[in-house]
Amino acid sequence: MDSQQDQNAPPAAAAADEKAFKLTAFSDEAHDSTFHFQILHLTDQLYIWVGCNTVRMGHMYAALATPWDRTPSVAALLGGGANSTGASMARRLSMRTGWSIVLASSLPSNSPTIEAFAEQRLFQELKSLGYVKPISKSSNRAPPTSATKLQA
Amino acid sequence: MALESSSYEEEEEAPAVAATTEPSVRKFVVPSKHFVASIQGRKTEIVQFSYDDYILVVVTQVGKLGTLLHARKEEGYGTAPTFNVSIIMGKRDEPLLVACARQLIEHISKDGSSRPLVLSLGLSDHSMDTLKEIIEVVTSNKIW
Repeated sequence: MDSQQDQNAPPAAAAADEKAFKLTAFSDEAHDSTFHFQILHLTDQLYIWVGCNTVRMGHMYAALATPWDRTPSVAALLGGGANSTGASMARRLSMRTGWSIVLASSLPSNSPTIEAFAEQRLFQELKSLGYVKPISKSSNRAPPTSATKLQA
Repeated sequence: MALESSSYEEEEEAPAVAATTEPSVRKFVVPSKHFVASIQGRKTEIVQFSYDDYILVVVTQVGKLGTLLHARKEEGYGTAPTFNVSIIMGKRDEPLLVACARQLIEHISKDGSSRPLVLSLGLSDHSMDTLKEIIEVVTSNKIW
């Protein structure tokens, strides 16, 4: 497994010149395929790209939590469709990490094994990078809605 | 927090114009450039990725992707190519952002690439001077 990580600007650099975003890029081999991942950590957002045996950006989706639903909303920005596999992966990543996510994915759409591996590997890396927000502290996740029952 | 170990070599190129940090060029399957520049006095972080099917340029002053634009070239047969810019997420009433994407796709086309562009602009001001400087800094440190 190849793992490559971006180094921040030299430690002595002035704060004004330091890169605020951290880019993590790595590749992994599994299921007779080579997976490539990019995670760009912005303030309040993650840009994620995943490719399998390809360097194509593919389709792009945005997923973020809204105050009116516990499940993050997804939009297909480029190609794909709101019900495609990439869209559901974006939604799940947003739900599991608590972040607003823009996901670009060129994974094949007919292979659940490939998807499952990519998502798991990605989540594993997000966790080890410390990018998974604990539920209690995250302001990104909708609070539990209280059901009010009409009194007869 | 985040892991700091790196096991690859990072090449550094001197930026041509206005970048205040050396762009880090990564040896990953996706070529990328990542640097900080000062645009009209504001700290601006720029990340460029070169995929096989798209060029992605992220320019932000507010720490977020902001408005996402898609710009592509359509080849005319025997005539000059036409360009199409659309906004795929964010503010739809900022013509200067559209003009910025249009300028960049024209540069990309002139430099010989037919790939479409996805441009992210997360800016604190949308003045002409800011956008002109952004175009300069991006093209001077281009990934294509």
